[in-house]
Amino acid sequence: MDSLYVAWRYLSFNWLRTATLIGCVSIILALPLALNFLLDVGERQLTARAQATPLVVGAKGSALDLTLNALYFGEQVPELISMAEDEAIARSGLALPIPVYVRFHAREFPIVGTTLDYFELRGLSIASGRTLGVLGECVLGATVAERLGLAPGDSLLSSPESVFDLAGVYPLKMKVVGVLAPTHGPDDLAVFVDVKTAWVIQGLGHGHEDLASIEDESVVLERRDGNVMANAKLLKYNEITPANLDSFHFHGDPALYPLTGVIVAPNDERAGTILRGRYLQEESRQQIVRPDEVIGGLLQSIFRIKDMLDAAMATVGAATVLALILVFALSLRLREREMTTMFKLGCSRATMARFVAAEIMIIGAFTAVLCAAVLALVNAYGVDLVRALILQQGG
Amino acid sequence: MSSSAERFSVMRTSLSWLSVLLIASAVTSTTLAEDRLSVYVVNYPLKYFAERIGAEHVSVEFPVPAGEDPAFWKPTAEMIAAYQRADLILLNGASYAKWIATATLARSRLVDTSREFADHLVAGGNVTHSHGNTGAHAHGNFAFTTWLDFNQAAAQAKAVMEALARMRPDIRASFERNFEVLQSEFMALDAELNVMARKAANRPLLASHPVYQYLARRYALNIKSLHWEPDRVPEESEWTRLAAMQREHAAKWIIWEQAPLEASVQRLNAMGIGSVVFSPAANQPERGDFMTVMRANVANLGRALD
Repeated sequence: MDSLYVAWRYLSFNWLRTATLIGCVSIILALPLALNFLLDVGERQLTARAQATPLVVGAKGSALDLTLNALYFGEQVPELISMAEDEAIARSGLALPIPVYVRFHAREFPIVGTTLDYFELRGLSIASGRTLGVLGECVLGATVAERLGLAPGDSLLSSPESVFDLAGVYPLKMKVVGVLAPTHGPDDLAVFVDVKTAWVIQGLGHGHEDLASIEDESVVLERRDGNVMANAKLLKYNEITPANLDSFHFHGDPALYPLTGVIVAPNDERAGTILRGRYLQEESRQQIVRPDEVIGGLLQSIFRIKDMLDAAMATVGAATVLALILVFALSLRLREREMTTMFKLGCSRATMARFVAAEIMIIGAFTAVLCAAVLALVNAYGVDLVRALILQQGG
Repeated sequence: MSSSAERFSVMRTSLSWLSVLLIASAVTSTTLAEDRLSVYVVNYPLKYFAERIGAEHVSVEFPVPAGEDPAFWKPTAEMIAAYQRADLILLNGASYAKWIATATLARSRLVDTSREFADHLVAGGNVTHSHGNTGAHAHGNFAFTTWLDFNQAAAQAKAVMEALARMRPDIRASFERNFEVLQSEFMALDAELNVMARKAANRPLLASHPVYQYLARRYALNIKSLHWEPDRVPEESEWTRLAAMQREHAAKWIIWEQAPLEASVQRLNAMGIGSVVFSPAANQPERGDFMTVMRANVANLGRALD
């Protein structure tokens, strides 16, 4: 007990040196542990979501971009495919296609245009309000609702793609009808809309007064062969309400409407294999990927880097341990006069060894506490941190 | 004494058995109700097809109120939620039920019953419009009373059968049997109409509304359509238009969706035009069912084609 007291007094007196020592040892110990923890969480998150997503179809190109966009709603928009691809998969009868159109944003959160099948695939449940009912409605992920302070009944504006694109996408005022229960995944950070609403945001669909019965003739450029041509004065609605819902319609062939990808849930393994075979032909302009394979590849790269980091960390760690031994040895040298005095006062060599051991023990205890605090912090914020890192990677 | 004790014992045994039977029947009916597929439809013909094919294995809901045209009915948010909860949603296709285009429904539950002949739908004659250079478009694209071609009705019924069988493969045989019976009834009507139509080839006919496109195409009927409501006597301008039409298309009969007002019938009679009813039966009929209505329709049309 006396040894601990003397050691404590000595360390308190030399507090700067002690704090530096504790800091160095803590960093050397906590860094690899925290890194390992984060990688484990990342691996679990990536793998779980990838395994829950059987197949993804998208344009040929980066399989990683396609997977990260379809699974994590990354900002990197892959080359677009058309709704015809989704319909072809549905017609094949081999799988359930779930269209995904992740291109637009509301504030900083991605707008995910999809169908209700997506909610079933991911097992998403509504915490408050209801699910999507009609065009122009949105359901918020738990984090989006919390950060924006929105609840069912509120409105949310979609953001223009570019502030300089004056003739481009007009913001659509969406009605918030529900908030999802937290999933601790990318769905918490998304704004879900019907894929048709995403097309309205893009301008492929819109609502306006009925031109066939319009009274203000200044809106009409010309009437010819049963076609009424309107000019720019025709007011288009930027909010879908029960009153104007019926006026919303789409231009062009719906089969050509864009998607960023299609999540494919095959009926069984055989159906999945047949489908994959169809996309292997060279002339196909689309690709089909297995997210678990793509994410597996990504993780392998991450782990190769991690192995290198581990080796570097081990070398640095070994060097630091040697440096610490040197520091202690030098410190004992510096304290030679102090030791001699203690010896003359009647302390045995064993007592002095106990003093030094007590100092090391106290430093070890503080280091352990600091490491535990760092790891607790990582544990508390690590899941969000990893998710943000994954989404950034997607972007 | 002993006989009354015997009677009592018999009565007690009977009551016990009765209770067991009642409980068993209650349990069975509850289980059956739980096992039944919940099917929502967008018009009455599909309700009829699903009930005929699915029989006791389905619970078919058609929430459109009587008297409303299901093609233009608008469901409330609660009603859309009810559709979302269904195991299957049977659609007519051909842009029928306008609300489907703006509603959010799970693809996995939707069945487009006219998909098989989607490439052969009749284009509607809507006014088109365009905004600047974006190209003309119309808001409703196809004639949608697809089931009035009985061959197409059979194809739609087959799509219903396939959808039910996908959901309940264990009782596919039952669905197939029921479908075959229904199909044979359609084929009988189809054959009957074909014989009648051949006898009256190219005979001019009028229709009160443009809803008989598929009937006309399948049975090669020479029909020109008006826009007359059966519950309203047409205005003078409409009679004038009819008279003008008669000069090029000398029809002796007009086909109505439902019984017209007597005043309209009398005035048409005076012009030498008889009235027959061929109900599309898009909504639940007041009497009978889809098949009885169609049989009556064929018989009525027989008068015009005789």
